[in-house]
Amino acid sequence: MKETDSTRMKQHYSKRDYKAYLYLLPWLFGFFALQLYPFIMSFIYSFNDYTVGGKMNFVGLGNYIQLMTKDRDFWNSLKVTILFALYTVPGKVILALLVAMFLNRNIRGINLIRTVYYIPSLFGGSIAVALLWRLMFMDNGIIVTALSHLGLKNVTFLGSPRLALPTITALEVWQFGSSMVMLLAALKNVPKELYEAADIDGANKFVEFFHITLPQISPILFFALLNQMIQELQNFTTPYTITNGGPRKATNVLGILLYKQGFSYFKMGYASAISWVEFTIILLFTLVLFGTSKFWVHYADET
Amino acid sequence: MANIFHRNNKKENPDVPTQEKAGFFTYLIIVIIGLILLYPIIWMFFASFKSNNEIFGSTALLPKEWHPENYIKGWKGSAGYTYTKFFANTFLMVIPTTLFTVISSTLVAYGFTRFNFPHKKLLMTALIAMMMLPNTVVIVPRYMLYNQFHWVDSYMPFYAPALLCCNSFFPYMLIQFLRSVPKDLDESAYIDGCGTFKTLTAILLPLMKPAIFSAGLFQFLWTYNDYFNALIFVNSVRKYPISLALRLSLDSESVADWGKVMAMAFVAVIPVMLLFFACQKYFVEGIATSGMKN
Amino acid sequence: MKKQALSVVLAAAMTAAALAGCGSAGSTGSSAAATTAEAAAAATESGSDSTGEKVTLRFAWWGGDERNAATQKVIDQFTDAHPEVTIEAEPGSSDGYHDKLATQLASGTAPDIVQVDPERMPTFVDSGDYFYDLKEYGADTSLFDANYIGLQINGNYDGKQLGLPTGIAGPAIIVNKDLADKFGIDLQKKDITWEDWIEYGKKVHEADPETYLFCANKEYLTNLFVYPLAKQYDGAVFDEDGKLVLSQESLTKIFKYIKDLYDNNVIAPASYTASYIADDLQSDANWLAGKYVGALCFISTMDVMAAGYPDGNYVAATLPVIKGAKDGGFASNTPQLLAVTKSCKHPETAAAFLNYFFNDKTAEETLGATRSVPPTEQARKICEENGTLSKVVVDAADIATAIGGTPNDKIASSDEAKTIVYDAVEAVGYSQMTPEDAAADVLDQFSSLAK
Repeated sequence: MKETDSTRMKQHYSKRDYKAYLYLLPWLFGFFALQLYPFIMSFIYSFNDYTVGGKMNFVGLGNYIQLMTKDRDFWNSLKVTILFALYTVPGKVILALLVAMFLNRNIRGINLIRTVYYIPSLFGGSIAVALLWRLMFMDNGIIVTALSHLGLKNVTFLGSPRLALPTITALEVWQFGSSMVMLLAALKNVPKELYEAADIDGANKFVEFFHITLPQISPILFFALLNQMIQELQNFTTPYTITNGGPRKATNVLGILLYKQGFSYFKMGYASAISWVEFTIILLFTLVLFGTSKFWVHYADET
Repeated sequence: MANIFHRNNKKENPDVPTQEKAGFFTYLIIVIIGLILLYPIIWMFFASFKSNNEIFGSTALLPKEWHPENYIKGWKGSAGYTYTKFFANTFLMVIPTTLFTVISSTLVAYGFTRFNFPHKKLLMTALIAMMMLPNTVVIVPRYMLYNQFHWVDSYMPFYAPALLCCNSFFPYMLIQFLRSVPKDLDESAYIDGCGTFKTLTAILLPLMKPAIFSAGLFQFLWTYNDYFNALIFVNSVRKYPISLALRLSLDSESVADWGKVMAMAFVAVIPVMLLFFACQKYFVEGIATSGMKN
Repeated sequence: MKKQALSVVLAAAMTAAALAGCGSAGSTGSSAAATTAEAAAAATESGSDSTGEKVTLRFAWWGGDERNAATQKVIDQFTDAHPEVTIEAEPGSSDGYHDKLATQLASGTAPDIVQVDPERMPTFVDSGDYFYDLKEYGADTSLFDANYIGLQINGNYDGKQLGLPTGIAGPAIIVNKDLADKFGIDLQKKDITWEDWIEYGKKVHEADPETYLFCANKEYLTNLFVYPLAKQYDGAVFDEDGKLVLSQESLTKIFKYIKDLYDNNVIAPASYTASYIADDLQSDANWLAGKYVGALCFISTMDVMAAGYPDGNYVAATLPVIKGAKDGGFASNTPQLLAVTKSCKHPETAAAFLNYFFNDKTAEETLGATRSVPPTEQARKICEENGTLSKVVVDAADIATAIGGTPNDKIASSDEAKTIVYDAVEAVGYSQMTPEDAAADVLDQFSSLAK
């Protein structure tokens, strides 16, 4: 038995097939050296007191305990990080879906429109746009000035602990273009026969949306949500460059906490602990999203 | 996972005859949304010609007085380096990174799609899993590693992951594409005596061009915009890319001139816009077909 | 006028020295001036001769455009005269500069010559043997006032000259005199009190609701008001042994004062200044529009502030001291030190460059006042003659040094401690904490920093 097994194996993988490893070599090396190794090391660091140039001192759960019981910023940062994602991700995806549905009709120049709407997405994470946002939403900036001309005096965006977070998340939502292009492509691929059949049955637009459109585009919608979420839970540049975590720590996301501990104070162990908390949050959100997917995501081969 | 990325080979149909023709109001709304979306960029362009007085406390779009010298003053840069230097740095950082990414991703995608080898499933899963791996969780050990290699304050922290194909997104994108290319083509070439590498370069590469081009464009864009990694890995102003140079323009010991800052911010977005308009087909197709991150 | 200013600066340096309790050993300053150039040249030659081969040095500093341009010029002058030496300039931003330096020092990859914040220096000196004693490698300090150069804050650690001070700096308040006159207030009066400022602030804001007395954010309030007041009340924040000195009572009073500043519109609301974080204060749109009578700043950044609104007529405000103060509070010190790190393989050449940098007349002329009021009399004289040293800067140096005071201690000047105070000042500014709570909160956190 064993012999036939192994001979089959030998037949199965030809000499040519083993050459695959040659092509995979860069990735295999990168996977072990720059992904798996750092991943494991950051876990190990997180249980150590470790500064650059110093020695590793095992502290057990010390960093996590310090983080959760003594660090004044941690719980606030955790809340801000989650809020940041909760404002941006649905905002971005829903807006993208609405605009995509609006554009999904017989429009001349659709390519140009799609192009124009995509432009803000070109600047994802760009410092130029972050500076622009800061300048526009400052107390003397164009937005506040315009509002005061409309009679709304003394509004403040970036200086308000309440409004600062929504203001900077608006920058992210502004960049809904890539999700929109994706969803637009998905909408175009919904078979027209389905709508025609529904029309004959006398279904209204509302029913059509929930019974035809949504199930048909749900895989893409799911993918958009997942990717945006992983990204926004890690966002750093937007809050760091526009408000530097302020005012009153209202935009102090975990990314900023990590950056300051790791790359300003060089407390690498502590920073790693923060990164693992962040990783856990991302994992939790991903699992929850996957958990809900069976209720609303429909794959073509399931039906 | 795989069917999320399922590539649709049907060409989009621009005419949808069963739906009603768009009317005036549709276009009006389209134009309004477009204006709202583009207004910040348009404002940035005009603000770059304004003096401090006009940028603040005014809602007028057009400058009353034009200050094109903002660009000249801004280009002089900070800390003794001009924007010529910062642009050169940026391209020195971005272009090799892009090329390395494209090359390594093509090889890896080829390996995964055209060979049947032990542990293929496991490795494929690893590749996909790494797409979910947040950058923040590996950044600290990577920093320590690069620090040991004396790579901090060089562009190696950008080149190395590109060479070693560490952003799974790109090989995955190409894998999706290659799966849609019939295997008969390259198999017959292989039987005809082409080596595996020759098969890749002579047969598949020409077919993969659009997908590779899309991947390259996105890597270019992301590296160009990247602030976090530049902030951590590039220290001396001599090596600053544009992103860090812009932040420097507001530094404590330089006289504040917001017009100048906006001028350079606008200059910084020009290459991205030019690239986009020149290659928008690849951008849009890249996103529409492979599920883009950004 | 010029002579007066000059003497003032010299007096300032002397005062600083005297305050620290160093006996005057007689200045060698002016007498050595004539021989400097030769001495520098000699030192340089010996420096390069000893190696006889090509030498490359890395020189890192932070600064704005003018400082960078001037420093680059001096480097070029030096390397033109010494073609075997190459100096790679690494100018940077003050933002994160010392964090980077800390890693570089720890990993042995620091540039050869580095500019260091004198308040950060003690931490570095404590954590490792990172810097050469410059005197051992031929650094010539004869042009410096002996007392001035002998202070720890100016680089002298137990007799070892680990750094050379680049000038005289300290807290200052720059005032647009035209505006002050318009509102009928005198910010230059002798024996001004902290309370006067509240009265002035009210008066200004009542007369013009768009204008405030001072441009300030939480970082500047901490450095210019909280710490100096703390030292005036209690003599120090932490003592030399790292014990907490500042009392809750004093800190409560200080935060009450900060609250008064906000409540009486002496300074712009905290929500307004939130857009101008830390050093970005100079980009405050209202300052650029001339809507403040004065601004909190440092002597080294006065010219930059003045350039932000060039239509102003700038003077330096006098600084208040409480009755029965235990310390002047407004310590003047050097804004930076230049040090040679142990990663340098050619410390003699580095010292030779520093000799040129500090002692050569051409170099001094090129550098002007780009690193604040120059540290040597010879350089100040040159700046006076060229007009590169503005009167407002000289006056501010005079005011700060006349009051004097001990520099911030090591713990209080750490980033960690300052961040604690910034947050508290912000909380008070947003009325989210009472002065009492803020004081208790800060001291609670300080006690964990104390030794």
